[in-house]
Amino acid sequence: MSQDDSGREPLPIWFFVGVILAVYGVLVVAGGFLSSRPTVLAETKPGLWWGALMVVAGGIFTAIGWMSHKKG
Amino acid sequence: MTVIHLTTIDWIIIVLYFVAIIGIGLYLRRFTKTGEDFFMAGRRNSSWVAGLAFLSANLGALEILGWTGGTMKYGMAVAHWYWIGAIPAMLFLGLYMMPFYYSSKIHSVPGYLKLRFDERTRLLNAFSFAVMTLLMSGINLYLMALVFKILLGWDWHVSMWVSAAAIGCYITLGGLMSAIFTEIVQFFLIWAGLFLVSVLGVMEFGGIGNVMEGLPSTMSTLWSTTGDPNANAMGVTWLGLAMGLGFVLSFGYWTTDFLVVQRAFSSKDLRSARLTPITASFFKMALPFIVVVAGLVAYKLGMDPASGFKLPEDPSNPGKLWNDAALPLLIVRYYPVGLVGLGITALLAGFMAGQAGNVSAFNTVWTYDIYKAVINRKASDEHLVWVGRVTTVVGILLSVGTAYLAMQFNTIMDYIQAIFSWVNAPLFATMLLGMFWKRTTSAGAFWGLLAGMITSFGIFIGFRFGWIGADLASLLTFTATPSDMTRNLWQASWAWIVCFGMTVVISLFTAPKPDAELEGLVKGLTPKADDGKVGLLGRPGFWAAVALVVLVALNVYFW
Repeated sequence: MSQDDSGREPLPIWFFVGVILAVYGVLVVAGGFLSSRPTVLAETKPGLWWGALMVVAGGIFTAIGWMSHKKG
Repeated sequence: MTVIHLTTIDWIIIVLYFVAIIGIGLYLRRFTKTGEDFFMAGRRNSSWVAGLAFLSANLGALEILGWTGGTMKYGMAVAHWYWIGAIPAMLFLGLYMMPFYYSSKIHSVPGYLKLRFDERTRLLNAFSFAVMTLLMSGINLYLMALVFKILLGWDWHVSMWVSAAAIGCYITLGGLMSAIFTEIVQFFLIWAGLFLVSVLGVMEFGGIGNVMEGLPSTMSTLWSTTGDPNANAMGVTWLGLAMGLGFVLSFGYWTTDFLVVQRAFSSKDLRSARLTPITASFFKMALPFIVVVAGLVAYKLGMDPASGFKLPEDPSNPGKLWNDAALPLLIVRYYPVGLVGLGITALLAGFMAGQAGNVSAFNTVWTYDIYKAVINRKASDEHLVWVGRVTTVVGILLSVGTAYLAMQFNTIMDYIQAIFSWVNAPLFATMLLGMFWKRTTSAGAFWGLLAGMITSFGIFIGFRFGWIGADLASLLTFTATPSDMTRNLWQASWAWIVCFGMTVVISLFTAPKPDAELEGLVKGLTPKADDGKVGLLGRPGFWAAVALVVLVALNVYFW
């Protein structure tokens, strides 16, 4: 890709993936707390631990993307 | 009947997806200035980015829904489409074909045909590919609207126009790079949104051993029942699988379909381009852990009336169960608020990324292989980017038109879905000969390709209208009573054989191009791909060997 008019390179895809996973992770955790749907295995709280995993993975991807962008 | 009811958090997750992909398109717009940027994503991608996009361009929601449901019908054999039906071809592309593609700096697969053969072969392939991608894109759109109408109660027209507008918007803005970014986002959303279904399904049964326990061998093995077509649910033999799926269909798709190969062209150098399909192969092999495991869980639940798991009626085949609803039903069974939204977003992303892949491949082939080749040979780079953007909008509108057509005339879907074996199966023979036999001539390639396409179409029509009698059918398929699956596999195989044979025969009687015109395009006249001083872990050959070992191990384990 070309540089933009200010001479900047685009952010890497990993940054966007990280932000999306992290934001979705937070929403999934929130849903896990608020959910009253009677689902099978509800007692294992899948929304909470899966959402938390997404937040962690999202944070890692965001950091990797941001650092690689800064490094140029 | 609406299967899934969404809450506010689910809706926020879905709306955020649209905001994210359009935002990415807007962000990338400022970096998309030249033809290389718009059509080739600047040719600066690493093998990780290109590899995940390569896989994701193929990984549509239809495939995931279809093969999860397919597992309820065919069992473990569905994994053939992910393993023998993909991995050898992907490795072959990376190791042997990519040097010819990448080194010639072409913009498309038809572009290679022009350099290697002539304009008419390029145009034959460019037109057929353009029509195929547009029709497939339209069918994808129609089926997306169908699935969401039944599962969520969404309006047909709103589903189609909103998703088409979003795709048109971000591809027009950022070109191939936008498509690649959203494909990679889709890849992660599919794993985040759907893998948990399999995990929870296995947890409900108390382990994968309990899921597999009690399954008949036709459901739980890959090859052991393929000696006799009547002994497995697909009605195929190991020969049909190996020749039709493992060779012709698989190699025809993975090594020549510009939709996926375009992602490798966006790599920053030859080594990354070669690593692109090899990297993708590992993730491809992992997909049955979503699709097949979820399908087997659904099958086991369906066997137990007390489980409360019941498939709805198929909207296209009244009176029959709708297997494609298996995965959404498992989402409803296991997912709380928020995760439901994520699961639906994963499916939505799968539908939309598949369509975006078709549109981005279409705009490149139209712009370079039809518009620049036939209509305006002197077009400037800036003008081609403009044409690419206009073509994207036109392509989207034609896709929507196809979707409405499919809605009115449901049976045209059978024809459209068969197009793949008319176009790609014979093309693989042309490519194989073109790249590895320098004696192949332009006349041989053109007439061989045309004959292969006509053969495939002829067999399809023959079976469709009953013109092929029982004797000829068993002769063509090496099976006494061929199933639809067997017919499809052999239809592609015969197309390949006819194209290969005709190309060889005609080439022997016509004059080949001089060697000087074939440098960089044919084995023997192209320098060997040199990985330089890269260590073992950076070598495509090493990772291809690892992928092959994993493939063999999986097949032996689930034999």
